[in-house]
Amino acid sequence: MIQVIFKRLLMLVPVLIGITLIGFLLLQVMPGDAAERAMGTRASAEELAEMRRLWGLDLPIWQQYLLFLRDCLTGSFGVSIFHKKAVITLVAERLPFTLGIVALSTLIALVIALPFASLAAVRRGRPADHAIRQIFVALIAVPPFWLSYVLILWLSLRLGWFPTGGVGEGLAENLYRLFLPSLVVGLSTAALIQQTLRAALIDTMKADYVDTARAKGLRRHEIFLRHVMPNSLISTISIIGVRVSWIIGGTVVVEKIFSVPGLGSLLIDAIVSRDLPVIRGLTVFFAIMVVIVNLITDILYALADPRVRLE
Amino acid sequence: MTSKLKFRSLLLATAVAFSSLAAPASWADTLRVAMGYDPVSLDPIATSDNGSIWTQLLIYDTLIRPDKSGTGLEPGLAESWTVSDDGLTLSFKLRDAKFSDGSPVTAEDVQYSIERAGSKASGWGRFFNPITGFEIVNDREIVMTLDKPFTPAFNNLALFAAAILPKKLLEEKGEAFFDAPVGSGPFVLKDWTRGASITLDKNPYYWQAGKPAVDGAVLEVVTEPSARAIKLEAGEVDVALDPPLNQLDALAKETGITTGEVIPYRADFVLMNTTRAPFDDLRVRQALNYAVDKEALVKGVLYGRGKPAASAMPVMKYADPDLAPYPYDPAKAKALLAEAGYPDGFEAELAVDSGKATSRNAAIALQAMLQQVGVKLKVQMLESGTQWQTTKAGNYDMAVSYTTSDTIDPDQIIGFVAVNPERANAYHTQWKDERLNDLYVDERKTVNGPEREAMFKEMVQRLHDGAPFVFLFHPATAWAQRDYVKGFEILPTSNFRLEDVTLDK
Repeated sequence: MIQVIFKRLLMLVPVLIGITLIGFLLLQVMPGDAAERAMGTRASAEELAEMRRLWGLDLPIWQQYLLFLRDCLTGSFGVSIFHKKAVITLVAERLPFTLGIVALSTLIALVIALPFASLAAVRRGRPADHAIRQIFVALIAVPPFWLSYVLILWLSLRLGWFPTGGVGEGLAENLYRLFLPSLVVGLSTAALIQQTLRAALIDTMKADYVDTARAKGLRRHEIFLRHVMPNSLISTISIIGVRVSWIIGGTVVVEKIFSVPGLGSLLIDAIVSRDLPVIRGLTVFFAIMVVIVNLITDILYALADPRVRLE
Repeated sequence: MTSKLKFRSLLLATAVAFSSLAAPASWADTLRVAMGYDPVSLDPIATSDNGSIWTQLLIYDTLIRPDKSGTGLEPGLAESWTVSDDGLTLSFKLRDAKFSDGSPVTAEDVQYSIERAGSKASGWGRFFNPITGFEIVNDREIVMTLDKPFTPAFNNLALFAAAILPKKLLEEKGEAFFDAPVGSGPFVLKDWTRGASITLDKNPYYWQAGKPAVDGAVLEVVTEPSARAIKLEAGEVDVALDPPLNQLDALAKETGITTGEVIPYRADFVLMNTTRAPFDDLRVRQALNYAVDKEALVKGVLYGRGKPAASAMPVMKYADPDLAPYPYDPAKAKALLAEAGYPDGFEAELAVDSGKATSRNAAIALQAMLQQVGVKLKVQMLESGTQWQTTKAGNYDMAVSYTTSDTIDPDQIIGFVAVNPERANAYHTQWKDERLNDLYVDERKTVNGPEREAMFKEMVQRLHDGAPFVFLFHPATAWAQRDYVKGFEILPTSNFRLEDVTLDK
């Protein structure tokens, strides 16, 4: 197992080289640069040139690329032009909030999807199944910005149960404040896993060992909880893995509406202000995250299902 | 049985824990403001974004500062001053003020800060480096001299970039100073969670006795305009800056909430590329100005918050109150177009920054208005940076844009929007007027006074007549606040001062 993990981490290297090269080159083509975004209407051409020199933007491209690779290897991932801090520092400041949303939303998704998928599977074909399908299809279609504002209007403004956004100090306060944004993200995740989970449950319920368990005299809900559910959850793990990779940088809309300083906002703000070091550094960081999440997903898969071998 | 009991007690404990968090923080005398920008840095010479500027102006002081009308200057750290007749000598008498660590503000600190602001490392160097000599008369008197006359240098000392910093601490700590900055302004930085909020405590040594009245302030970073309005309604903040324009009336109607507005140093207009036909013809450019109903634009796009613009210059020092905007006269527009050889109008592309709601809505309204005189506009929505690049490179027919001024001296803006050749060649329209160029050279050498005022009036008149832009409006900046907040307002420089605010709860 350890050997395999090691091999997989080693595969990170060519992946990252590819990403750094492509990301770097693509960004060079983008119109506009950081100096103009900073001082555009105020500076003369000479001043802009001076600023570019101060920020190292006028170095030849291959040199900038090598400096970027060096920054990735030393762990700083570059230095932000505007914040003047290492990209890794900016990421560390925001990672707890993003990870909080990841964890909380996945938990909420499981809490919502499991019971409904079970109900739909057990009552297959009957009105309850159809109703549940309609609701979850609607959940996939609902735009997150609409859902966010609806939740804020009802749960924050009218009922006052939750704050309208922002983040706080300490674990407890942050879990409380991140609940609504996590709910928005979690509801779509739930919608995604519900259908496949239902299908997996239906398949598993037809298996031979389920008949054996019934023959042995186990009661229905015992069979369901101890045999059917765990074996069906395996397929869900893959979906959650893909989804988590996306959440880490993709929840910008929810972050902006709830004023959560997460990694998605960091990326978008860097793009608008053309803070190239941050964009590059974040791209590499996200790539690393995706590889790690995939690895964890595969490990969990292998642990959960002894028939699957990790390779 | 026991597992059920355990589960219930866990549920109860969680509920109790959450309910204690639901109670709002009880800081009775802290002003909470929701603003849309996250500061980037607290170094006055290294920033140009609103979030940084507004926060810096609460922590630091400048020698002089714009007064509340926006057209004059009032004393800041300088109690009094004199400017020599030839404009080459500026003498300042400093007041008895202290930094937030108790040390006095001295002439040495002033020299250090202004030299730093004019240095090569400063993004604002050009505004201050004409000041070449400093003479420290005593701890509280300093004389600055210029090699060549450059009148804006004096007004530029009111700019946030000219903030007076403590020399000793900056030399000791270097860049690390800005992690815990020390200034002479009404507030001190207590905490800064990037992307989330800035917490300020009041400066116990502030030179205005008895101020600030509040014990502290929290500036919450809320980038979504609707979210700011919601926070105000939920009672989580006391003031919300820049709520969505279309929600202002509804907010004002709610009990306990009032709104306010001010016209800052900003002018919106449409650039016309004078190197391309038909925009090289003055008659066409003027025709387009006559074809736009500015009053309707202010009502429809700005929901009434703003006023029509007669020129591309914001309303600031030396602004001409008598200059009238082009009236709405579609008949005259058609006549001018026919005279220029376009009786059936023409087609053109209008580049718009898709990220700015005001520009987008103005573009759509303009498309409809110009259609009536036969001008068919194709609206091109572009990402902010891309739109800027495109206009800069001259790859456009028409482009919606605006300009804001950081300093009260109109020299910065006129040089940008009207002078060719200069930094932007008349804001990339390539329009050129020799007389205006000559006046520009002169006004920077002329001391502040009626002579300089007359020069600016003439320049603005010529810009108005030459019409390289379709002048639109001066949009107002609005805010919404709770009734118990007294003394809050936004200044024409777009920032806000909090030392006069009281909370009458």
